[in-house]
Amino acid sequence: MTEKEIAALELYAVKCRINMLRMLRSSHHGHVGGAFSAMDIVTALYFYKMRIDPDKPQMPDRDRFILSAGHKCLCQYAALAERSYFKKEILDTYGKLDSKIPGHPDMRKLPGIEANTGALGHGLPIAAGMALALRMNKTGASVYVLMGDGELAEGSNWEAIAAAAHHKLSNLMVFVDFNGLQISGPVQEVMNLTPISERFRSFGWDVTDIDGNDMRQIVNTLDNLPAGGNKPIAIVAHTIKSRGLSFAENKVDYHYWNASDEQLDLAERELNVLAEAYGKVVEA
Amino acid sequence: MIGNPEDPRKVFGKAVTDIALEQKNIVVLSADSGKSSGFGEFISAAPERYIECGIMEQAVVGIAAGLATAGKIPVFCAIAPFVTARPFEMFRNDLGYMRQNVKIVGRNGGITYSDLGSTHHSLDDFAIIRMIPGVAILSPQDPNEIRSSVKAMLEYDGPVYMRIGNGAIPNLFEETPFIIGKGRLIRSGSDVTIISTGTLTADTMAAAELLSNAGVSAEVLGMPSIAPLDGELILASAAKTGRVITVEEHYVYGGLGTMVADLLGQKLPIPIKKLGIPHAYATSGPYREILSKYGLDADGIAKETESFVNDR
Repeated sequence: MTEKEIAALELYAVKCRINMLRMLRSSHHGHVGGAFSAMDIVTALYFYKMRIDPDKPQMPDRDRFILSAGHKCLCQYAALAERSYFKKEILDTYGKLDSKIPGHPDMRKLPGIEANTGALGHGLPIAAGMALALRMNKTGASVYVLMGDGELAEGSNWEAIAAAAHHKLSNLMVFVDFNGLQISGPVQEVMNLTPISERFRSFGWDVTDIDGNDMRQIVNTLDNLPAGGNKPIAIVAHTIKSRGLSFAENKVDYHYWNASDEQLDLAERELNVLAEAYGKVVEA
Repeated sequence: MIGNPEDPRKVFGKAVTDIALEQKNIVVLSADSGKSSGFGEFISAAPERYIECGIMEQAVVGIAAGLATAGKIPVFCAIAPFVTARPFEMFRNDLGYMRQNVKIVGRNGGITYSDLGSTHHSLDDFAIIRMIPGVAILSPQDPNEIRSSVKAMLEYDGPVYMRIGNGAIPNLFEETPFIIGKGRLIRSGSDVTIISTGTLTADTMAAAELLSNAGVSAEVLGMPSIAPLDGELILASAAKTGRVITVEEHYVYGGLGTMVADLLGQKLPIPIKKLGIPHAYATSGPYREILSKYGLDADGIAKETESFVNDR
């Protein structure tokens, strides 16, 4: 990929982060830290990798994206809106009565949402079932899952991790958003699940460690997924919690953020500067 | 009784297999539970649609939901508590909230896994699963009803929980089309309405015969559909007899009895008595002896009904 193409994706990631701020203007609170850390991965999937068509959200052979860590929904809503699955005005309803973008995603409320996640440890089993069905239906479609690192403590994940390897679900790709922080503190202190890569590998998965906030690395990884293999794929993405909010990066307090207008203004100014910079590269 | 007693698990597995061999979007999931759920023939005939997952009921329910999102009709059968209490949140969110077309079947329901003890009894499944909006709950009463309800279950577009028992049971009725949400007037009477579900309907029918000999005219309703419940049939019968007794292999709280009491309390407040297992961990032992201990065999049901009728 050229510098320009990478910059175009970076620009989408910044625009999506600005979309997240727009939702926060509506509610002034939300699960921000993990949504911002995962935004680059989600951007690469929605704007580069996945075979999707916003005009045909039920297309049978579409790739699926499952946000297993449903509390990171801001990043999915931001991407869906930017990808024109729905009007951006819906972003202004976040936190409001009867909103189509509740605090955890609801597939019956919006196109583009594939599962009702939020209770942790559900997304991966559902995704494994989808991957099985898509293979049985000979669609050629893949299922991409975004998981949190703290979420890996849920036992049902390890049931699905075993089942996916046993059934050789090579069309299942899991990104672990390894930002290292959960509500109560560092993941290694709350419940140590490291080494994450080794655990997946020992269950029979193909595993890669990447910098999950480096767009070029994400894209390269997606470009070089093992083809024709017989293993599911885990990408352990080392990320920075709240990536893109200068005052909140790597701070556990921003897992769930009660945002003031002043903070939102500051964040937006910073992101606008970034957008302008990437915009210049794209237009050059 | 009609014909010889039949094993409900074999009847169930065969009924699903017969339909699935024609309808290729049906898939069968197993948590090391397929063969004992009557799927031996299916495993040989359609191995590509038999998905063994090992003992991981939580993930199996999630996997079933995922399969359903892509047009499959997954059927997952295992021991009743392990497909209801164990993966409850997966049932609620992945099947209920996501409205997926998955069929969950709890076998060895109630206390039919009698001597294996309370871990293997299922006395709360109606209560917990009926809290999930949009789930149909079926509790067929004989082998013929298992066959017809399997057909109805697979035709129904949405999540279904079906409970079947263990051990050979007699056929009570001719096989007729099963309508989800409809009960069955089994016997007409005037002194009391006895409402039963599942395999205990055989004992309830025998109890009605004993009551008749004792001069009590019992109307018997069979409820193979717990949710939706046939309120119309219940209210019509209750209005006629003026008192209702419920019989179920379930805690007396939360199941059929509670649902009938809720209905009557709001629409037709009359005396009601609920027979079932008291809210405690049931004892273990031979199945018929446990039923007898809790007054759920024909003698017990007749005795409780007679005293209820005489207690005017």
